[in-house]
Amino acid sequence: MKKFLLVSFAAALLYAPHPSHAAQSWDLIGEEIVRFDAQVVDLLCELTGDCPENCGGGKRQLGLVDADGKLIPVFKNAVPFAGAVVELLDFCGKTVTADGLFSTNRGTTIFSLQFVREAPSGKWRKSNRFLREWAETNGVEVNSNAAKTWFRNDPRIKALIAKDGKLGLGPGVLPAE
Amino acid sequence: MKSLFATLTGAMLLLTLGAGPAAAARVTITGEVIDSWCYLTEIMYPLGSAHHQCAIWCATGGIPVGLLDDDGRVYIVLKIENDSNSVANPTVLDIQSHRVTVEGDTFERDGITYLTIDRVINDEGIVNLTADDYGIQPFGE
Repeated sequence: MKKFLLVSFAAALLYAPHPSHAAQSWDLIGEEIVRFDAQVVDLLCELTGDCPENCGGGKRQLGLVDADGKLIPVFKNAVPFAGAVVELLDFCGKTVTADGLFSTNRGTTIFSLQFVREAPSGKWRKSNRFLREWAETNGVEVNSNAAKTWFRNDPRIKALIAKDGKLGLGPGVLPAE
Repeated sequence: MKSLFATLTGAMLLLTLGAGPAAAARVTITGEVIDSWCYLTEIMYPLGSAHHQCAIWCATGGIPVGLLDDDGRVYIVLKIENDSNSVANPTVLDIQSHRVTVEGDTFERDGITYLTIDRVINDEGIVNLTADDYGIQPFGE
């Protein structure tokens, strides 16, 4: 049942129509659909004062500082198994309207981004640019099956799985039947 | 009206951003390197060998990597061994799902604990052998 839910979740991320630019529920524990304005920041810069140009150029985790000064790390975008740095980098230092989900579990609240635009009235973007960038980097069409299952086709991942196996315990080691 | 709203919002954000760097605490932590999103959402079984492949997917996809200590506290890793690349960092990918002991600094802000790792003191490899009970997460292959 859980497997079915996960497959449905991944399919929903990739194929669900979004007639409006409003976040959809993912049925996460402690979920809240939210939209708020905030400034895009480099988390490490915000915490330590170590601030390279352009929020680290895509190599650093990004976050949002809302109007109350709260720092909100962004954990996820709208692509299966992918984060939100690619979605936010263009807005480094700018104020955006972020649309997505807070989810609170194990005493921690995290944010998953589904749509973003420059505040107050920029054009909405779905947070799936990761896929376009991945497809371009890997020389495939963004609508190809290879891109949609990017996590099974990424050369870095394939190299790691070839070296350590799917369980990380060595090549070919699988769960007991 | 729109531009007034934008100016006021911008001014409020600028004022709140003047907080400056957070205070660091020096730490030595032992725990499992985890995929923070799967662990914190519990969307699937998120630990050990069962979740290793998925943890590699998520870390490569740029989801923040965490360290889960023995008390159940999650630290979000932002730096490792003088490398401030925290998006698909190869060093972090190599120790995903491993039990490690690290030295570094923590920074508390708004309910999240962030971690900059100066040094991995000990790497025990993957010791949380969960795959026999939970299979390969999330799709079984």
